[in-house]
Amino acid sequence: MRPQRFDVIVVGAGHAGVEAARAAARMGRRVGLCTLSNATVAHMPCNPAIGGTAKGHLVREIDALGGLMGEAIDATGIQFKLLNRSRGPAVRSPRAQADKRRYGEWVADALAREERITWILGRVSRVTVRADRVTGVELETASGEAGGERLESRAVVVTTGTFLNGLVHVGERRTPAGRAGEPPSRRLAESLKALGLPWGRLKTGTPPRLDRRSIDFSRFAEAPGDEAPVPFSFMTPAIERRQIVCHQLHTTERVHDMVRDNIARSPLYNGRIEGIGPRYCPSLEDKVMRFPHRERHHIVLEPEGIDVDEVYVNGYSMSLPAEVQEALVHALPGLEGAVVLRPGYAVEYDFVQPTALNRTYEAAGVAGLFLAGQVNGTSGYEEAAGQGIVAGINAARAVAGEEPFVLGRDEAYLGVLADDLTTRGCLEPYRMFTSRAEYRLLLRIDNADLRLTERGREAGLVDDRRWARFEGRRGRYEENVRRVSGTTVTLADGTRARAGQALRRPDAELEQLTRGDGLDLELADGEEQADLWSVETHFKYAGYLERQQAAIERARRMEDRRIPSGFRYEGLPGLSREMAERLTEVRPETLGQALRIPGVTPVAVALVGARVGA
Amino acid sequence: MFATDDTIVAIATPPGPGGIGVVRVSGARAVRIAGAILAGPPKLEPRRVTLTEALDPADNRPLDRVLVTYFPGPRSYTGEDVLEISGHGSPVILRQIVGAATAAGARLAEPGEFTFRAYLRGRIDLVQAEAIQDLVTAVTPRQARVAFDQLEGTATGAIGAIDRAVFDLVARLEASLDFPEEGYHFVDGEAAGAEIASLAEQVRRLVASSRHGRLIREGCQVAVVGKPNVGKSSLFNALCGVQRTIVTATAGTTRDLVTETIDLEGIPVTLVDTAGIRTTTDRIEAEGARRARAALEAAAAVVVVLDRSRPLDGDDRALLDDTSTQPRLVVVNKRDLPAAWCPAVRPQVAACKHRVETCLVDGRSAGAIRDALLALMEGRGTSRETPAVSNVRHIGLLVAAAAALERASAPATAGAGEELVLADLEEARRALEEITGKRTPEAVIERIFERFCIGK
Repeated sequence: MRPQRFDVIVVGAGHAGVEAARAAARMGRRVGLCTLSNATVAHMPCNPAIGGTAKGHLVREIDALGGLMGEAIDATGIQFKLLNRSRGPAVRSPRAQADKRRYGEWVADALAREERITWILGRVSRVTVRADRVTGVELETASGEAGGERLESRAVVVTTGTFLNGLVHVGERRTPAGRAGEPPSRRLAESLKALGLPWGRLKTGTPPRLDRRSIDFSRFAEAPGDEAPVPFSFMTPAIERRQIVCHQLHTTERVHDMVRDNIARSPLYNGRIEGIGPRYCPSLEDKVMRFPHRERHHIVLEPEGIDVDEVYVNGYSMSLPAEVQEALVHALPGLEGAVVLRPGYAVEYDFVQPTALNRTYEAAGVAGLFLAGQVNGTSGYEEAAGQGIVAGINAARAVAGEEPFVLGRDEAYLGVLADDLTTRGCLEPYRMFTSRAEYRLLLRIDNADLRLTERGREAGLVDDRRWARFEGRRGRYEENVRRVSGTTVTLADGTRARAGQALRRPDAELEQLTRGDGLDLELADGEEQADLWSVETHFKYAGYLERQQAAIERARRMEDRRIPSGFRYEGLPGLSREMAERLTEVRPETLGQALRIPGVTPVAVALVGARVGA
Repeated sequence: MFATDDTIVAIATPPGPGGIGVVRVSGARAVRIAGAILAGPPKLEPRRVTLTEALDPADNRPLDRVLVTYFPGPRSYTGEDVLEISGHGSPVILRQIVGAATAAGARLAEPGEFTFRAYLRGRIDLVQAEAIQDLVTAVTPRQARVAFDQLEGTATGAIGAIDRAVFDLVARLEASLDFPEEGYHFVDGEAAGAEIASLAEQVRRLVASSRHGRLIREGCQVAVVGKPNVGKSSLFNALCGVQRTIVTATAGTTRDLVTETIDLEGIPVTLVDTAGIRTTTDRIEAEGARRARAALEAAAAVVVVLDRSRPLDGDDRALLDDTSTQPRLVVVNKRDLPAAWCPAVRPQVAACKHRVETCLVDGRSAGAIRDALLALMEGRGTSRETPAVSNVRHIGLLVAAAAALERASAPATAGAGEELVLADLEEARRALEEITGKRTPEAVIERIFERFCIGK
């Protein structure tokens, strides 16, 4: 039988995989999308939510490029909240609770509409390579043996999340699994290791799930969403759906005592877990043991859907034995009678040290092999999706011999993400923070489309509908900036000033100025808020943006100087062996990137710079 | 960041006073900088020496008469266009020339950077370029921080404390932005504003004290002026004779100024003996007097020597007038002879805070002069407890840090966005870390997780 042939094969249909597959398909490639189960497409095995600080930025950027995530959450979100609403526009970030099942279904439907995507149900056992080029993948047989069906392609995007040698811990019980109840991928892990990719082991965890019907919600404070939800997607005019409330509670001293009493039974504390967990997402054990003086910790009860009974206990992730977990749940005031549907667990998994990848997410030594998502050491659906869309675009381009698609640190959080991962690697699961972006004031959710939609259009991801909408918005933005710059207005205190200047005052608002004389702006129906916001921020940040722009120009001198691929560092006069090793391992693409490699000195970079020329 | 395509400048001769001192400029802008800081500007010919004046960019006044040699690249030490400006060996003047060059667009070179460029341009091989080691040591972030932390002394202590405070504030502000829903109140806007203002003030005080620090490190020039035969030479002998700690004794190379360096309680003081200043028609003597006045203007302080045994005349009074705005010590000499006038009733003399009556014959009164001179020097700095910063590069960085902190403090107090406050605080942090050693990009995040229990 002749093997099935594709342009691009995507392994895994999680948040990275679906974006990669969709992007490649939209760019005209025939895509084979391999998944273990149709029921876990764009699955949320942990927190049923999308967004959050900096993560919301990533979603906006994915959306601006023409990706799925923004529209998916807008269509299936059940509680929306704009974080940092009272703070500056650069750090406002949307977050939403998802109806977990509907979210996955929405994404699966969207992919089903892509004619170029072929679904392949099965477990990939290895990536096939000939002469350092990917030739496709091989599946396991129906009985789980190696040597099943072969699929051919010139690019493979591996998005296997926590499945590579996954090991789930619940107390003393250890089960090989990618997620609770789903067997891990061992053969694929070995196949990737055999290709010479460097490895590490990480750990993450999730809390127990409770039965909604067994909880007395009247005992808790309500945590509602925003009254006027701000959508993630530039394509969503408004979110009209009814929103749910979450509920808030706190741990107690008794809970802390119980954790301490049982700490020896936690695989995190008895040495059974070797992988490194995320510090920004500490387990209950870590919270109690590492911060003994904090009297109580936040917990939020989050429904996993509008009409499901599963409730996610946010802030209560743990890997203690199931019976201890149950006791810990019952120890919380209000949850005395709660039914635990499934216990929390910790999962250890192999990840590829992403310094082995280029900023396109292509592995350095294997042409056509791309990796994206949690397999690269990140955590979070948004980080995964962000890598997925960029990897998908690059896989699609690679098979056509086209130029790589790389976003700069000054263009997008997606650029920061790719640069951080491939330059510095991961010592713990990587999560995006706004503080990682040195050009934070520039990389905002309100201008994500102005920054990226054109790039998405060039890449072939942005359809006509989105493009038309974007052009309208960009036209209004540019026109409004002109008008604000050129209009003199009367301020509340009677003085007159240029509207643009007036807006630099902390308390000045553009909307207020439009109510007075002379300043008439072009605002689209239903988009007034978004239109006003971008223009106002343009002026509020003006002085700072100029300085940030100057810093970008300075940095660009180094960012624009490319180091040829395959550049030999060993033996370069003046370069210490340690530097040469570090540089060889990371293979920076530019002098600017080389400067960001931990431990590499400016002098070493100058030596390289002298050799590669201007 | 460390660039190799800009123009750098530094004092090329060893620190401290000397007969002559050389300021070296290297890079593509060298010629343009020459045009900006040299009188004329002169037409520079390759590998020829040109006599001209270095100018203060602020007011175009001459800083020093200098000899400039121009080496166009690639036939130069670094392989780039190079200027070598030879001036008189006063650290004060050389620093002013460097300042003029940086104002004209040059960057202060890192230690060893000229040699490094020479290596990059293929002018020397690596074996010769041992100085690169200095550069490596100076700019390796971790090493620099470790080295900084191991340093002792009030100045590093104070900079370190400010740096830690800024860093801690940055971490808390970042935490408030990245973790708004953790139930922590990381930072209070108004308190942060006050804290930033106080940090700015501390940095500014360090900068102000830097003058005092430089005084100790590089010493200062003190011009000794007076009519002929009032006892200037005796004063020299007295100061040098009592404390035999002469560092150098150099006759000025191109002008008839004699300099002696003495150790005044740790401050190297270069005494510049001047030709007697008086009205004259003799051309050579007039030129000597002109130079004496120039030295007087360049000096950090002046010692005016008067003779009590002869009546004060117009020349004495002119000197007292000319020096009235400068830090000065008035020495009323020849106390042992019958007085021709009384210092206490001459307003011009009586008004001088630093005044001493002496008898300098045979080195007598030397102790009194040393004490008076020291009082004058110390009065110029700030209080003794203020730690002193004495490195020119560090002072530049502190000035930048103070400016960034000042920019950050007002918006912080006014409750403007944390992200804007942080934009300036980060700039201050970068400047401070140039001194204390850079932190990794992860450091802020690590700091947050260390202090706060973040995440659900």
